Amino acid sequence: MLRSRTIAAAPVRSASVTWQVITDLVADTVAASAALARSDAEQAMEVAAPIGRMLIAGGHLDRCPLTLVAGLVHCEIGTVSGTAALSAEENLSPIPGAASATTFTIHLPAPDPFAVVVAEVAAGHPRLSDVLPLAPEARSAAGTGSLVDMNALRKEVAGR
Amino acid sequence: MTISTHTLVYTRVHTATHLTEVILGAIGDILADLGIAYSDFTRGWEQNENAIQAWITEGSLDQVVLECHQPSGTVDPVIEFPVAYTTTGAGDAEFTASRARLARFRAKLDRVPAGTTYRLFCTFAGRPHTPQPGWSPGTRASTDGLRGITFGTLGRAPHASAGMRYLHS
Repeated sequence: MLRSRTIAAAPVRSASVTWQVITDLVADTVAASAALARSDAEQAMEVAAPIGRMLIAGGHLDRCPLTLVAGLVHCEIGTVSGTAALSAEENLSPIPGAASATTFTIHLPAPDPFAVVVAEVAAGHPRLSDVLPLAPEARSAAGTGSLVDMNALRKEVAGR
Repeated sequence: MTISTHTLVYTRVHTATHLTEVILGAIGDILADLGIAYSDFTRGWEQNENAIQAWITEGSLDQVVLECHQPSGTVDPVIEFPVAYTTTGAGDAEFTASRARLARFRAKLDRVPAGTTYRLFCTFAGRPHTPQPGWSPGTRASTDGLRGITFGTLGRAPHASAGMRYLHS
């Protein structure tokens, strides 16, 4: 299921503090899995921090959120800036669904003019990606999250 | 579940935070657009963020200046971000940024040769200001011979606003 979280950026928080809030949210979510280490998420976010702060300050994360994919978690995390940030409602609790995760990926947005730099940053940590994630439905169809192979079921039904 | 709602109370710090991010965000976009290496800029981000925010909060910052130093020694373009303060601190509780207009403006910027570097200045127009870590006195390059294009207001907040002026040959 596609979820989304919105974090208040400036004028409520500086870009640095906003990135730290996002880092904590990602790390808290990943830490729910017994197979994953919180420190791994923190390290990945630290690698992405230089470009992450710029994306926040430039307002890019308002329009192009990053996406955390971990087990059943498929969550877009974006920011809200300006006047709207002052009245933004935030949910900073860990995103549910990561308990069974065995791996995770933080998909970074690559808006113009940062595509090349985001690709370089993403190459710097195995948990980062500059590629848009598959939609949750597509992941299920690929067999990564569904208990039922819908394609096989359709073929079976069609064959009767 | 932890849900928090920020209230509609704003202070000079909110104004400073907003304008700092608008200015630094614009500089980041411009450096990336021009293809100028900006690893130093990202490495010193928090230091610059803290300094500019403190100077806007105390009302001392006159402008932030981005100089582009070409390998030939030419300094071109120069982009100025002047900050104007309102005396009353009144006005609408509006925190705005002209980011879409900035994106269109960036598309018109002159290209710079490979190897161009940048320098960042803050000026104070004679106002006393608190020293900030990582910042030391410096001398701006001359802008003689450069033509100016005024972008207008880049960001606006209750206690101050930030503009942009593009100087090029």
